Amino acid sequence: MSVAEAIAVGEISGRLWFYANYHCNLRCSYCLTESAPGVDRREFGREKIVERAREAKELGFTAFGVTGGEPFLLDYMPELIAALGSELSTIVLSNGTVFNGRRLREMEPLADLPVQVQISLDHPEPDANDQMRGPENFRKVVEAVPRLVDRGIGVRIATTLEDPDEADPHEMERLCELHRAMGVPDEDHVVRPIVNRGRAVTNDMGVLAGFEQLGPELTLTADGAFYSPFAPTVRGGELDTDLLVSRTTSPVREPAEMLARIAGNRPAGNDASIGIR
Amino acid sequence: MPLIEAEQAPILARPFYPDEGAPSPITASLASVPEVLEVTLPFVGRILGPSAVDARTKEIVILRCSALMECRYCVETHTAVALDCGLSRAEVRALRGEWEAEAVFTDEDELALIAWVDAVAVGRGPAPEEVTARATEAMSHPELVELTLVAGATLMLNRYCSALGLPTSPATLARLGEEGLH
Repeated sequence: MSVAEAIAVGEISGRLWFYANYHCNLRCSYCLTESAPGVDRREFGREKIVERAREAKELGFTAFGVTGGEPFLLDYMPELIAALGSELSTIVLSNGTVFNGRRLREMEPLADLPVQVQISLDHPEPDANDQMRGPENFRKVVEAVPRLVDRGIGVRIATTLEDPDEADPHEMERLCELHRAMGVPDEDHVVRPIVNRGRAVTNDMGVLAGFEQLGPELTLTADGAFYSPFAPTVRGGELDTDLLVSRTTSPVREPAEMLARIAGNRPAGNDASIGIR
Repeated sequence: MPLIEAEQAPILARPFYPDEGAPSPITASLASVPEVLEVTLPFVGRILGPSAVDARTKEIVILRCSALMECRYCVETHTAVALDCGLSRAEVRALRGEWEAEAVFTDEDELALIAWVDAVAVGRGPAPEEVTARATEAMSHPELVELTLVAGATLMLNRYCSALGLPTSPATLARLGEEGLH
């Protein structure tokens, strides 16, 4: 089965993910990658991302995703996202803390493209949110989201909770009122569980997410190709390799075909059990 | 050299890990690059594993090569394997270069093979005519092809295991101690 066929029948996701970098201006308690200020950047590289995106589109991938670290700590990120969005629908994950001044102006070309910026916001009140994500995070996010929305840039809000099924309905309603007030409709609000990988393992948080729980979504990083964007995690400063597909990331066909082979060998009925994005 | 334990084994590497117990250091190190592991181990397994050539003959090649290349890991590991394949302690010592091969081995075909391995492992350019003549008399053409490839694959592993300093398993070291072949 070709990569395009594997995508067409849903054997693997049509979205190709890139880990742009691993450093971040926050130090969230449940971070998959132990990202923080001062950690090794492990930057994938602008040219490499563009080159692999081109290969991926030719192979039949239908969308791109970019995550980190905080991707927008890299100066070229708005321009890179515009380049990716000019080719295929693109989502970029951000903590939403760096959208002001020059960076905000650089984001403006994204308004005309199929691009969404997914920003994390976990609680409707500053204290609870900032306890997980760091001081001043809430304020910066509620300031940044309307700025992006006002410029016509697509925004999604991602809420990450210990157990979404046990979430306080009143708190969730306040959170939804908040994102609606910021111009983000309900269909662009995703609620997902903390994944028990990376720093969440150290802090004993989240749900198990291994081969059986995650769907196959090719994810390229400076360390190689992984099974899912939830796979290239870091614990105690060491990269997890349990969901490593290959060290080879180019030509993209190679890890893509390996991923399709892996997905094809999953036991029947072994669908991803966690709907996390 | 990081050795990847079972819980961190990449998906493509998992079939090469045993259901119980630790993987070999070669497997656990190659797992860092799963796309290389999944072609290397079947290749090595095909060349060094069961085939038309008997295990004793293959171990003569492997242990001799490893000793000539001074690969501690391979010598220790294949000393134990060689004993399991029926080689005597004296034959093992001879292959390891501790004793003269001619003083221990009596089979002319095996002595021709040892000379061939010596030429393949440490020689440069074509093997000497005399060595080639003895080898072609002692072995069929398919056997010579296969055993030369056994030597080549062993040389590759010798350099890999030596350069990366792979550790010999405690069980193997204990066995060598018991046999007086440490």
